[in-house]
Amino acid sequence: MRRLIEVWRSTVFQKWVMAITGVMLGGFLLAHLAGNLLIFVGADDMNAYAVELRELLHGSAIWVMRAVLVISLVLHVRAGIVLAQRNRTASGGRYAVTSYQRSTLASRSMLLTGLLILSYVLYHLAHFTFGAIHTEYYHYIDSMGRHDVYRMVVESFRQPVITILYVVAVIVTGFHLQHAIASAFQTLGINHPRYSPSIKMGGTLLSILIVIGFISVPMAIIFGLVQ
Amino acid sequence: MNLRLHIWRQKEPGAQGMLKAYDVADVSEHMSFLEMLDVLNERLLENGEDPVAFEHDCREGICGTCGMVINGRPHGPEPKTTVCQLHMRSFHDGDSITIEPWRASAFPVVKDLVVDRSAFDRIVQKGGYISVNTGNAPDGNAIPVPKVNADLAMDAASCIGCGACVAACPNASAMLFTAAKIGHLHALPQGHAEKGARVYNMVLAMDDEGFGACTNHLECEAACPKGISSLFIAKLNTEFVITSLL
Ligand code: HEM
Ligand code: FES
Repeated sequence: MRRLIEVWRSTVFQKWVMAITGVMLGGFLLAHLAGNLLIFVGADDMNAYAVELRELLHGSAIWVMRAVLVISLVLHVRAGIVLAQRNRTASGGRYAVTSYQRSTLASRSMLLTGLLILSYVLYHLAHFTFGAIHTEYYHYIDSMGRHDVYRMVVESFRQPVITILYVVAVIVTGFHLQHAIASAFQTLGINHPRYSPSIKMGGTLLSILIVIGFISVPMAIIFGLVQ
Repeated sequence: MNLRLHIWRQKEPGAQGMLKAYDVADVSEHMSFLEMLDVLNERLLENGEDPVAFEHDCREGICGTCGMVINGRPHGPEPKTTVCQLHMRSFHDGDSITIEPWRASAFPVVKDLVVDRSAFDRIVQKGGYISVNTGNAPDGNAIPVPKVNADLAMDAASCIGCGACVAACPNASAMLFTAAKIGHLHALPQGHAEKGARVYNMVLAMDDEGFGACTNHLECEAACPKGISSLFIAKLNTEFVITSLL
């Protein structure tokens, strides 16, 4: 038991927890993106998908997914804050002159981008999942009597404030991912002189694609491609 | 060439230190960086001032004793070069050079540019000992070691323990050092006997010393005078998690 506690508290294990939970969150992000892109398929498909998601396995699937996500997020954020505090103490009083060679703005601002993502996620859930804010868009019902997710999204993104916040949050997430993807490979023990440069490139490319994918939704709405 | 140095001066551990400016004239480009500091120190001594304390021993890049941060880079601007092997031809006339000690709370400043690196020794001590009485040195090729493993072990073993990795890391993490020590022993059959305990104890010792956690900036890899790869850190991550969960 003492050994388990020691392992759990170690920097290497906490970092590993960050990577595993980060990958879970990343997987969710991709699934979420796929769901969002249904807006280009049509209102019917999107609303049907929303219903299916809530009714999968008699409505239990969504709760399992939610539980996994909440646990991942809590562990990820906790480890992020604990490790960042530790690192601040460890490096205490740094140099008068700095000259970074390999680290990037993204790698050095992981806690900041992470906390920004967290604040946005809370706001985003309050808006689209709980309907606690921007309530005027939450109660649409489509012709088949379903929650009209499609219309909620379209009407919401016609509000500049909502769109601007969303776009900023997506870019911040892209920034987080740019370091995170390659970093997770390293943490999980995958490092090879031949493949590591491609992993790094692939991580950046995937981050950019994710950003473009998410932003395409409000852009299509603003420019009237999606009505 | 003529240079302006800004050197960290600190009387004793815990004392308030500060950067102090010194002008050094007529520096030959063939001097090593440490020889340039020797010249400065001679002048300081002649003037009855306290010479700049810095560590050095072999001056041929193999012992790991020297080390200082030059314009924000441990061991200065040249890749894979210790500061004793850094030559003044890497600088230009009129340059302004800032020289600071390794900065990490696990490496407290002793005086000026000298830091206490005994935390590294304590990590190594946790690596265990050879528990088998091996008698005389064994025959060179008695234990077959595949070439790939021998090379890997040699790569890791080239770590001279200078601490540049910690100094370069924005988190002052000692992962590259610890991973090199572990990686070197684990690549060889002789190191396998105490593998699990070694990873476990060394990682915990590293944490206890107050080093930071690795966030994969990989500044360490760029700063290492021996060019040790972050591959060893990836290996350590896996070995630690596997051995401690089994
Ligand atoms: C969309 C949600 C998120 C995803 C997909 C995500 C993904 C990741 C991944 C894959 C890593 C790399 C782990 C590694 O280096 O091994 C990471 C690191 C990190 N994440 Fe997140 N993350 C998310 C949200 C957050 C949040 C809300 C925080 C809030 C504190 C956060 C803070 C951090 C920090 C501080 C690191 C760096 C840790 C380190 O390098 O040691 N992340 N993230
Ligand atoms: S003095 Fe020995 S490595 Fe520089």
